[in-house]
Amino acid sequence: MNSYYIINLLIYAAVDAMACLGLNQQFGVAGVTNFGFIIFQAAGGYAAAILALPDQSANGGFQSYIGGWNLPFPVPLIGAAVVGGLLALPFTFLVGRRLRGDFAAVGMLVTAVLLNLLATNYRPALNGDAGLSLIPAPGGQQFSVQSSGYQWAFTAGALAACALVYLFVRRITESPYGRSLRAMRDNDLVADSLGKNLLSLRTAMLVTGGAIAGLSGGILVSYISTWSPAAWGYAETVVLFAAVIIGGAGNHLGAILGALLVPVGFEEVTRYIPTSNNLPPNLIPSLEWVAIGLLIVVFLWVRPQGILPERKRVIKTAGQTPSGPAGADVLVIPPPARAAPASPVPSAAAVPSAAPERPPGPEIVLEAIDVTREFGGVRAVAGVSFGVRRGTMTGLIGPNGAGKSTLLAMLAGTLPVSSGHIRYQGQDVTGLAAYRRARLGLVRTFQLASEFKRLTVLENLLSAVPDNRGDSFRGALAGRRYWRADEAAAIARAQVLLDRFGLEGNANSYAGDLSGGQRRLVEIMRALMAQPRVLLLDEPMAGVHPNLARRIGNELVALCAEGLTVLMVEHELAIMDEFCDPVVAMAEGVVLAEGSMAELRSRTEVVEAYLVG
Amino acid sequence: MKFTTPVTGLVLIVAAALVGCSSNSSSTSAASGGAATGSSAASGAPITVADVAPFSGPDAALGPTYLASCYGATAAINSAGGVLGHELTCKSVDTRGDPADAVPAVNQMFASTPNLGLVIGCTSDEAASVAPVINAHKMAMFCMTGQSEFDSVHFPYFYRLVPPDLEESYAMVAIAQQLHYNKIALAFGNDIGSQTFIQPAIAALKKAGMTLTTNQTLDLKATTFRTEAEAIIQSHPDAIMTEALGAADPTLFQEISQLNGGKMIPIIATSAAISPAFFKSSAAAVGATTFTSNFHADNLVVETSGPAYQAFSKALLGEQGKVPGVTGDFTTYLSAPGGVHLYDGINLAALAMLMSKSTSPSVYSPDIIKIGNGVSGATVCYSFAACAASLKAGNAIRYEGPGGPTNFDSFHDSTGIFQVDTYSDNGQVNVVGNLSADQLRALSG
Amino acid sequence: MTIFLASFGFGLVTASVLAIAAIGFTLQFGVTDVLNLAYGAVMIAGAFLAYVINSLGVSVWIGLAVAVAACSAGSVLLNAGVYAPFQRRGTSPITMVIVSLGMTLIIEFGVQAIAGGTSVSYKMTQGPSVRAGGLVLSTVQLVVIGLSVLVMLGTHVLLRYTRLGKAMRATAANKSLARNCGIRTGRVITATWAITGALCGLAGVVFAMDAGSFDATATDLFLVLILAAVFLGGPGQAYGAMLGAVVIGLATEISAAYITPDYKYVIAFVALLVMLGVRPTGLLGARA
Repeated sequence: MNSYYIINLLIYAAVDAMACLGLNQQFGVAGVTNFGFIIFQAAGGYAAAILALPDQSANGGFQSYIGGWNLPFPVPLIGAAVVGGLLALPFTFLVGRRLRGDFAAVGMLVTAVLLNLLATNYRPALNGDAGLSLIPAPGGQQFSVQSSGYQWAFTAGALAACALVYLFVRRITESPYGRSLRAMRDNDLVADSLGKNLLSLRTAMLVTGGAIAGLSGGILVSYISTWSPAAWGYAETVVLFAAVIIGGAGNHLGAILGALLVPVGFEEVTRYIPTSNNLPPNLIPSLEWVAIGLLIVVFLWVRPQGILPERKRVIKTAGQTPSGPAGADVLVIPPPARAAPASPVPSAAAVPSAAPERPPGPEIVLEAIDVTREFGGVRAVAGVSFGVRRGTMTGLIGPNGAGKSTLLAMLAGTLPVSSGHIRYQGQDVTGLAAYRRARLGLVRTFQLASEFKRLTVLENLLSAVPDNRGDSFRGALAGRRYWRADEAAAIARAQVLLDRFGLEGNANSYAGDLSGGQRRLVEIMRALMAQPRVLLLDEPMAGVHPNLARRIGNELVALCAEGLTVLMVEHELAIMDEFCDPVVAMAEGVVLAEGSMAELRSRTEVVEAYLVG
Repeated sequence: MKFTTPVTGLVLIVAAALVGCSSNSSSTSAASGGAATGSSAASGAPITVADVAPFSGPDAALGPTYLASCYGATAAINSAGGVLGHELTCKSVDTRGDPADAVPAVNQMFASTPNLGLVIGCTSDEAASVAPVINAHKMAMFCMTGQSEFDSVHFPYFYRLVPPDLEESYAMVAIAQQLHYNKIALAFGNDIGSQTFIQPAIAALKKAGMTLTTNQTLDLKATTFRTEAEAIIQSHPDAIMTEALGAADPTLFQEISQLNGGKMIPIIATSAAISPAFFKSSAAAVGATTFTSNFHADNLVVETSGPAYQAFSKALLGEQGKVPGVTGDFTTYLSAPGGVHLYDGINLAALAMLMSKSTSPSVYSPDIIKIGNGVSGATVCYSFAACAASLKAGNAIRYEGPGGPTNFDSFHDSTGIFQVDTYSDNGQVNVVGNLSADQLRALSG
Repeated sequence: MTIFLASFGFGLVTASVLAIAAIGFTLQFGVTDVLNLAYGAVMIAGAFLAYVINSLGVSVWIGLAVAVAACSAGSVLLNAGVYAPFQRRGTSPITMVIVSLGMTLIIEFGVQAIAGGTSVSYKMTQGPSVRAGGLVLSTVQLVVIGLSVLVMLGTHVLLRYTRLGKAMRATAANKSLARNCGIRTGRVITATWAITGALCGLAGVVFAMDAGSFDATATDLFLVLILAAVFLGGPGQAYGAMLGAVVIGLATEISAAYITPDYKYVIAFVALLVMLGVRPTGLLGARA
């Protein structure tokens, strides 16, 4: 019966494609490297089995297992997805921000081995190494399971499920939420500093991928009617990773292609190789694994983006707004205060809608109180106290190793303090995570290149927008109609910024392809998109042409006039002279002096420590 | 929706390619539910016997072993004139020892084997997942699995000539009784095949009034078992009942011997221990003399003389050098576990085809039972050639091969008779005793 | 008490093999920042090389020497030919792990393709057993413990007292700074892989001696024990690896005696996961 083989292949293709889609969502889109992926498929398989099987005394009682409630379709499959998703929750401790990506991956791999070992050796739970068999197929009571009609219906169901999963992951990925996921993948530290809750994102991805994997396991088990530890060693995870890498990580169609090529195509092709007299029986399977290893390494070297690389998301902008006349530096930047929505139409005379509070005089909006930071006995910052006043552009200077960047990092929350306090808008935020500070309006930039390389310039900007309805799991699921308006508004705001900084032509280029100075601009614009109240800039002008630097400075000054507060670490004294007042001078972890540049130049200790002229 | 086109397109292309690949040699199979391949096979075309077993992975030795029997049986059948004008030929189908891989392998077999007449093999690694599939295709199968589910689940096309694992457990206990051992330690591997012995063994020990001193499970992926060995020694057993395939048993023996001051504790093993590879590793581990003087195993009764054995031996040895993938000393296949029984199975099926004048299992399979159990007044014959001649002469026949007489029950299981085997120092297998069915019955629950 | 002493003795042997392996692994990570998951595969390749030599009639100890040399050279090639080029490109650590998994497949199944799937063992005698209280150890096992102690001492001397050792520590702490201080980091890295590769080969042969019978996949589970020891002590810390090896080696065997041997590796796995979750820098690593 030829068609049974086709049915077999189609069902396996659907199951593998589903698994690869789930893995791609975790790994290719969100950068969560889950080397234990197979255990979620296994859990789903077992869940479907124990829900569908009758009580363990049935069939002669030769299997021992938990469960056995003989539930009808579709309960076992739903249960499979639920169990797969729930199983992800205990592993969230491995994927919080604290752990290096490769360590977390190793942890997941070890967990997969451990669970396989437990399932094999603890027979009462899932019948040990023998696994579960005689699992009833869905609707097995009503229909003749081996009939051609049933088999084709099953196949259609599996393919339909795969299609639904594809639509689901596509909807998640092609949304502002998906953009945040990709930003986290490209640079998680920066995403964190822009207000993304990494733990929540990664947990969502683990659960989603787990549920998809669980569903694929449930469907597989319903088809082959048995399941045992032999079917889900950690080698199976490697095959799925190879599939996603070869097909194209980050591209859901690539994941499907990878599934067709590797677990289905590659493994099936080897069945057609005839056995010959001279070859030892083990040779072909061993060489198969060698080939998969080679494919992984070669692809990662030659074409790491895979056969179908991740598509560039080109966003059509609604007409180009002409850049302002040369020299015009009246800039309409949307107001930093949260309450007012952005005005999409730039107008030279427009005054931004009123911010909810207009402080009478500059109060201290950000304050460090006796902050120290130690690295293994070395005190990078040793008891620093100072305040930054609202509406000022405060400078922070000092020689290399003075502790400036460390201090900035502690103010932003990307580095914890060893002792001391940080106050922001009157609140103590010392223990508050970086992403929460960002959501309160305390945003930083980084010294080294930190753009999201595989996002376009426009996407980089959009990723920082704090209030997009589509930037949550539920929002993404609700679909484009739900978040269309917010997205359009954000695009318009970004458009204005791009025009002001002269990068409108690069809106749809990958941020990683720009020159150093341009990337610097992207970062500043992106920080501005986050609607900051206090902006912490870490050497923003480094590597930037002096004219451009001056232009950036002017833009920032204009923003400060509208209520933005800036704290800028910089080496270029000319910049300090021109734009920053007051300036704080640090050396060797302590503050030396504070005041205008002129005042500082007159202080001998400052001159000695730093100023060369 | 945009996505449908590329995805469905890809799937359809792949599907079409495979249909193209596999239908180039198919006969006129109507696409209706469950019809087996080959109603009557095209005249003259060879009929295939498929060996569905692991040819790779941890149990990779099994597939070639059964293939050797297939070659032997089919060669003898072909030289006696074949079946209804067809020759028989053998084909290997690698299940990779894993149920998820076995199912597509079997489906591919059905798709690419137009004149399939019989399936042999199906070990515990894959039987649970492939037996339903093969049964649904209405294809007869002679399986090697002793798994208990096949004792009482009815698959009409399933036949088993090897006893269920629990019978082998009883046999091991019976051996212990014969040798007057009273305190027994159990050491079984944690894989499918070995775990099924434990519960029946414990029950049988209890029934026999013997003491279970300890029950150790050996993780086959581990490389040392010193703690388990020490625990066994500390429990002071008279003998150890064990099956732990691969490197585990030899390692265990060595560690027990070392920890026990150089003294080996007597071993009672299963039929899986009757293999040249096992002897070689165990002898290397503790020394041939030490090993052989402390070793007994149960084995399915395999005749070593008589007309059935002569025919078998001649047929099998005639295939030396022609069987792909078999390595080592070919004569060991004469006593390899299962080899004899699958040879018998093929003969039974071929004779059934003659008797029912059809190569389609849905027609010939009831005759397997008749020829195996024998109707009253049947003439006993010991090889295909002799039985075929007897059939032609108009007799009712009962086939009795080197595996001994068969007694199929209602589930098509035939329990065997057991013998007690030991090794000589050069690896030769000796039969030192027999176990009667009554002895085993006395131990069963 | 005897069972405790016996399992303590077994634990020492396991700890010894683990220590040799873990020191090599952790130094590779410390100096080059690569989690070389192919370490287990290189170990078994060394073990099989010694087996081939042994099966030609030569003593297995000579085979050991050959394996040590070969794995040393092989590891240098592995880094220079595969890991370093990827790293120069700025490949992320997680992709490096995937690369190392790919190399594991290539090496391990390459060995299996050549050597076959059946298990083999060395032709050697275990030597007379030494008994002390409840402890029972064969001569070979004592030699293994002795070798491990030598390796630990040697590592200590290397890192503390030699120029190369200090250069290794500096490179591990901060590669660019070390280079700026005039340390030839390229050479240090090559030397590191040569030394740790040698340790890897030694660990592989000793592992095979201890296991008795082995096949190409025998080190799969052992790699997890190595990871547990390394992360327990602190990745990159040689003394941490020694500590971790002793703890894991003893814990697995003693737990096997008292709980059940089925789950003796579980304790190692759980320890690893707990360390990753609670203190990824390990017991001896600095607090992040």
